[in-house]
Amino acid sequence: MIQRMMAWMLAACLVLPLLVLLLMSLARHWSWPALLPDGIEGRQWVALVADRTGLGVIVLRSAGMGLGVAALATVLGFVTSRSVARHRRRGALMTLLHVPFAVSPVVVGVSLLYLFLRLDLAGHVAGVMLAQLIFAYAYAAILLSGFWTARVQSLADVAITLGADPPQVWRRVLAPMARPLLGVCLFQTFLISWFDYPITLLIGESRVATLTVALYQYFSSGDTRLAATCGLVLLAPPLFVLAIQRRLLAASIATPWEAAGE
Amino acid sequence: MSERVAQALHVESVDVRLGTQLILRELSFSVDAHSTMAVIGPSGCGKTTLLRAVAGLIAVERGRIRLGLQPVGVAAAGGHRIVYLNQEALLFPHLDVFENLAFGLRVRHVAEREIRRRVALLIAQLELSGLELRAPHSLSGGQRQRVAFGRALAADPALLLLDEPFSNLDPDTRASMQELFKQLAALHGITALFVTHDLKESIRIGQRFALIRDGRLTTYADLEQFCADPSSGVEREAEFWRAFSRRSD
Repeated sequence: MIQRMMAWMLAACLVLPLLVLLLMSLARHWSWPALLPDGIEGRQWVALVADRTGLGVIVLRSAGMGLGVAALATVLGFVTSRSVARHRRRGALMTLLHVPFAVSPVVVGVSLLYLFLRLDLAGHVAGVMLAQLIFAYAYAAILLSGFWTARVQSLADVAITLGADPPQVWRRVLAPMARPLLGVCLFQTFLISWFDYPITLLIGESRVATLTVALYQYFSSGDTRLAATCGLVLLAPPLFVLAIQRRLLAASIATPWEAAGE
Repeated sequence: MSERVAQALHVESVDVRLGTQLILRELSFSVDAHSTMAVIGPSGCGKTTLLRAVAGLIAVERGRIRLGLQPVGVAAAGGHRIVYLNQEALLFPHLDVFENLAFGLRVRHVAEREIRRRVALLIAQLELSGLELRAPHSLSGGQRQRVAFGRALAADPALLLLDEPFSNLDPDTRASMQELFKQLAALHGITALFVTHDLKESIRIGQRFALIRDGRLTTYADLEQFCADPSSGVEREAEFWRAFSRRSD
């Protein structure tokens, strides 16, 4: 009974904010202290679909940046994590990978801004992506380092003795085995870019408009309906991928060979 | 079955170091083509290190290893058709039985029809019929070892290195796998280095014998010489069974 109540309370904590955002985006007029809005209209959503707000372009830009950062970070992180796992100073290298997360993103952003200004990367999408990649790449290398167990190395050795060259070992053995974890990594690094605000604002110099930057601008301007719409759009892709990722997570946590004790 | 050229293994004055420790010193021996040398030694004596060095997976500090006339080394690991069989089957978990067996043929870009023919033959020889599409995790221990063995044979090895491959199996399965190995080794003309800590297994499997102790290897020309050496443990084992037999009488 208590467990069921706790589950419902947890669900309510997760679902209610989303419902409030949805109501805010649909409200014709909603002022305090009313519990519910005066009326419902879909004006903001129609404007979004017709791209009269310019939000469509912003969504596409954010998605493109997120996918680009995720793909690069995952590939580079996968290769790096293997080198780190086999290195004599594995512990020191892992500590180094945690450094971007030990420092505030604002501090990192300000530190990078001077360099990016000199390199003419500030204010450009490429510059923002490069800055986000620093965090995403380090995260990917940390996440994927858990893949490189002694058993995986033994399987790679078996492949070598069976005649596979290094690219074949990666393509036919390592990448397929790592597929579930690579999927999780792609998703997580996508979120790092998708939800990023401080780095985008600093390095982008307010000229690179992503969903998070737009959301803050709408709130600052007092357009709560557009801000709520923007917030829901921000949450939609991760919620969708989360539903799919549950299957990937289950595969990476309990793979059949682990379950069989092989 | 294949056009494999017989190769003899020559190990000449080899030292192998792992980290700061010299595991094997001044190893010198040969394995004739088409024959099996059984290498016996206690746990931790360097048997696996020996096999990994011969496979080219770790570098030797001194000396050289040749397969026929070709030197074996880390840089060329995989290029000499030296296949390593672990005590764990180490099947590729994302491939079914058929694809595991075919792996060594696919990486060498063998034609699909030839792959199907050779794998079908192996499946019949290894009594794996009906298991072609099964995932490795759904197989028994004995079945996995047969698939691992078949995968090694399919790769057409010039030399097969077996690292206690049957040690995880129950006694009956182990005995049947030993017999299967002998049959297929004879059928395929395999050159093999078979490492074990089990004296009986070494005697069943080997045609020549070697003993590793304190990092050094002693070879014996035949079973008689091997049994005659007190340090091989054969006499001790025989005495145990004689005493057991007297107690039972």
